[in-house]
Amino acid sequence: MNDRPIRRADAHGGTAGGPAPGPTTRRLAPPTSEDTELAVDIRSLLEGGAVDEARERFAELVSRHQRRALRIAYQYLRDAADADEAVQDAFVKVFAHIGSYREAWPFEVWFTRILINGCLDRRKARARRERWFTSSEESSPDETQSAFGGPTPLDPEARLLARERRARLAAAIDRLDGRQRTVFMLCHYGDCTPREVSAITGLNESTVRVHLFRAARKLRGLLGGKP
Amino acid sequence: MGRPHHLVEDQLFDCYTAERAGEPLDPRSAEHLADCGECGDRYSELSRFMDGLRTEADAETDALFPSDRQDAQRLSIMRRIEHLGHAARVITFPGRLVTQQMGKSLRLRVSPWAATAAAACLFVGVAVGMFYDGRNHRPQFSTARVVPNPTAPQATAGIGPAPIALDTETFLTELERALGGPQTPELMTLDVLTPHVREIAFDAR
Repeated sequence: MNDRPIRRADAHGGTAGGPAPGPTTRRLAPPTSEDTELAVDIRSLLEGGAVDEARERFAELVSRHQRRALRIAYQYLRDAADADEAVQDAFVKVFAHIGSYREAWPFEVWFTRILINGCLDRRKARARRERWFTSSEESSPDETQSAFGGPTPLDPEARLLARERRARLAAAIDRLDGRQRTVFMLCHYGDCTPREVSAITGLNESTVRVHLFRAARKLRGLLGGKP
Repeated sequence: MGRPHHLVEDQLFDCYTAERAGEPLDPRSAEHLADCGECGDRYSELSRFMDGLRTEADAETDALFPSDRQDAQRLSIMRRIEHLGHAARVITFPGRLVTQQMGKSLRLRVSPWAATAAAACLFVGVAVGMFYDGRNHRPQFSTARVVPNPTAPQATAGIGPAPIALDTETFLTELERALGGPQTPELMTLDVLTPHVREIAFDAR
C-alpha cells in the first residue's frame, strides 16, 4: 500500500502561509470562489473577536462541503462511522486553524488536503488494529442505513445486487496503487480537476493525469468493462 | 491512406476528464470524436462506465448519510467548535466532601464511650474464652506426642515464625479418630471420598 500522507506540515495550514507550493503552484488561477471568500471572512471575524458570527458563517461552509466530504471519506474508508468522524475532525481542524489559511489557495484544496490526511491516518490506524486484533465484522451499508433510519430500497433483489456491485467496486478500488487511488478518489468522487489534485497532492499535473488514466483503466479491467 | 487514426485510450480519457471539469477539449480530439463513429462509441462507453461509478458512489453515500444524519453531524461539528479554545473542564474529586461526610457519620454512629465499652467487652470475652478453652482441651493436647521428624523440611532460620514440630502421622490419626466419631456424621461422606494416610502409605510401598 502506498498511502502516504499529503504534505503533512501543510495540513494545518503550513508554516509559511498555507500549503507549500508544489510544482504546479504558479499555474493555479487566483482563487475567486465563494468558499474561499467565506473562509477569509471567517478568518477576519475570528481575528476581530466576533466568534459567534464566525461560527455562523462556518456552518454555511460546512453545509456546502459536507456531502462531498462524506463521499470522499466514505469511499476512502468504506466505513460509515469512520467516515463520519473523519469529516467531523476535518471541519473542526479547519476551524481551529483557519487563522493560518491563505487565500492563495482555494479553500476546497486546503480542506480536501486536511480531510485526505485524516482519512490516511485512519486507514493506517485501522491496518494496525487489524494486525493485532481479530477484525470485527464490518457493518454492511444496509445495516447502517437501517440503523440511521435512511430510506431502504423496496426490492430486496435489487438491494442485494447493489450491495454486491458496491462490494466489487470497493474491492477493485482497494486494489489500486495508493497514489492512483487518491488521485482517482479526488478527481472522480471529490470533483477535483487534475490541477486541483495536483495542488492537493503536490504531484505534477501530468503525473496526476497519468495516475487517473491508469486507475480508470485498471478499474475497467477489474470490473469487466473494456480496458 | 485507408484506416483513420483512432483516438487512443488516454486521449479518450483526457476528453472525458476535460468534459467533467468543464474545460475545453483538445480541438483535434474533439473534431475526431465528432467525425468518427467508432471512437464516439468508445467514448460513450467510457463515459457510461465512469459515470456509473460516480452514480453508484453518490447513491451509496446518500443512502448511508441521509439528510437527518447530515444534520446531526453538522450539529455535532458546531458543538465541537463551540468548545474550541475553552480549557478542558476538570472535575475535582470531592475528597473534602467525602472526608466531611465520613467524619460526620462516624461521629454520629460511634461515640467514644461506646467504642471503649465494645473494646472492653471484646477483651473480657477473649480472656474468658481462652480460660475455658484451656481447661477443656489441655489434657487432650497433652497426649499428643511431639516428635521431631528429621525428614520433614525445616523452615529457614530467621525467616518467619519458629517451625511447629508436629508429628504428621499422629496428627492425622487424631484427625481420623475425630472424624470417625458419632458427633460428625455429616462429614462421613467426605471422609469416604478422601484417601486415608494409611492407604497412601500402603500404595507407596
